[in-house]
Amino acid sequence: MRRLATTAHALLALYRPLIVAATIVAVVVIPIGGSRLWIYNMLNVAIFALPVIGLAVITGRAGQVSFAQTTFMAIGGYGIAIFTTRLGWNAWLGLFLSALIAAAAAVVIGLPMLRLRGHYLAMGTFALALGTTSFALAATFLTGGSIGISGVPALEIGSVSFFDQRNAYFLCWAFVALGLVVHALLYRSYVGRAWRAVALREDVAASLGVNNQWFKVLAFTIAAVMASVAGSLYVSITSYVSPDLYDAGVGVNLFVMLFIGGRATLFGPVVGAAIVTLGPQVFSGIAEWQNIIFLTILLVVILFLPNGLLGGGAPVPRLRQWLPTALPRKDVAA
Amino acid sequence: MSVAAVETARETEADLVASGVRKAFGGVVAVDNASITVSESRISGLIGPNGAGKSTLLSILSGFLRPDAGTVRLGELDVARRGPATAARHGLIRTFQAAAPVRSLSVGDNVLLGMHLRFTGGPLAVLLRTPTMRAQERQARGEVAALLEDIGLSDLQDVDAGRLTFGQLRFLEIARALAARPRLLLLDEPTAGLNTVESDRLTALITSISGRGVGLLVVDHNVPFLFAICDRITVMNYGSIIAEGPPSEIETDPAVREAYLGTERIVEVAQAE
Repeated sequence: MRRLATTAHALLALYRPLIVAATIVAVVVIPIGGSRLWIYNMLNVAIFALPVIGLAVITGRAGQVSFAQTTFMAIGGYGIAIFTTRLGWNAWLGLFLSALIAAAAAVVIGLPMLRLRGHYLAMGTFALALGTTSFALAATFLTGGSIGISGVPALEIGSVSFFDQRNAYFLCWAFVALGLVVHALLYRSYVGRAWRAVALREDVAASLGVNNQWFKVLAFTIAAVMASVAGSLYVSITSYVSPDLYDAGVGVNLFVMLFIGGRATLFGPVVGAAIVTLGPQVFSGIAEWQNIIFLTILLVVILFLPNGLLGGGAPVPRLRQWLPTALPRKDVAA
Repeated sequence: MSVAAVETARETEADLVASGVRKAFGGVVAVDNASITVSESRISGLIGPNGAGKSTLLSILSGFLRPDAGTVRLGELDVARRGPATAARHGLIRTFQAAAPVRSLSVGDNVLLGMHLRFTGGPLAVLLRTPTMRAQERQARGEVAALLEDIGLSDLQDVDAGRLTFGQLRFLEIARALAARPRLLLLDEPTAGLNTVESDRLTALITSISGRGVGLLVVDHNVPFLFAICDRITVMNYGSIIAEGPPSEIETDPAVREAYLGTERIVEVAQAE
């Protein structure tokens, strides 16, 4: 078993660049030669990849567990819907204002919330995610309650409408590319080094002059803006927003995408979003069992690749450590 | 007070001064009415038996712990109130008892982390790749090599810090602290876990750091080591400071002998010199 895992690691080290290359090629080729279904599928991948890139920043780099990405997706989605349908403003203006509101909310929420650590932070952000759908359901005057808001106009540039799926595809992937550039530039700078120090040793970071709280809130805010933009894009493409889009389960899904792809990698969020979005369809022939089979496979992947598909450097877990400790072991017998 | 005036005040009154500091954890008084000065112009040592409150005092001096009573001042700066990051900004840098690399960072990136405060632009400057930001990054990366050369880790620049030996980590941590260009450097048990060769190298390194005009406070168990390098020694016992002075005086101080050093140990030290 151990040898098998080691071989898998060696193969992955070899294929890691290939996985990234294949993803990039797929993104470029599918709109040219792909069917409508595949364009639709890959559009969904882009919509999820963006908030997961944000999650990679706050959780993968800065080490702060956040389930709150759906909250900021909701701000983006409801924001653009309200600004355009109620106030009649331009969809782009709606997208930018929503992102601004999401950023402001991230600062206001993050300042107290990010004082929490570990499990407490996870619980705090999860509560926020649960509260988001409840709020969307309750605040009927603002969100339309369970009915939601329909008739959201599409984004346009001149005569190009992003209601067209092929155009929307390019727009969404352009935003994903922008998200990747933002992540890469920050990661390689002093900001990225500060994040990684904050993630592992807050005391060391502080001793060298890093303002821990500031860098946590910064990561949280960047993640929020990416989530908000993805939320706005999705709603403007489907022209409809409702509370179930932002179910807390979606937030958990984003987490799975991050960890499958590789939480501390640049392209991991894209690969993870693609696998989790497209994966279940491979087993779609077996109807209701598809998710169970797919999630079992994910579990095995995480077991052997705790750093994700693109993570690398993972220690190979010994199967023994997963066995109950009550089982007789040699050292106990002796 | 103008900015210039503050700057001047810092230059002339650069010492770190703690007076009447007290810290209790629950009912246990870890540090009681302790006063100590870390001067820019010398190497100070802090010794005392296990549990004497040395590390607690160092944490208070560097702004990590807030004292229950007393003040810690670095020139105009109220260290106790402003915390460690602000203290670092004013040139006060500490190291940690257990060598503390950021394990996911390479050796070189750990040193770059020490240069954190040199980067003046915000995240927007990073994203826009402003000329200033790029120049600062380039200059910082250029200096890493020289700093690693000083501590003999040049060929390990791209290795993950988690892979170094204990002794190498110790030196990496000091290099990282030096990268922050400290005026005052507080070292928490730097010789712990070092072999004799490494200890000798550390002695040479600390002397050379002092030679560059950096004030040091070294907290350690290794008495001969401290007596050899320090200009002044402070002795703690049960949270209180029981003696302070040049090594020659401390050696013969009866209270110190009784409380901590033991007669035989002192004779050994005296003979060694």
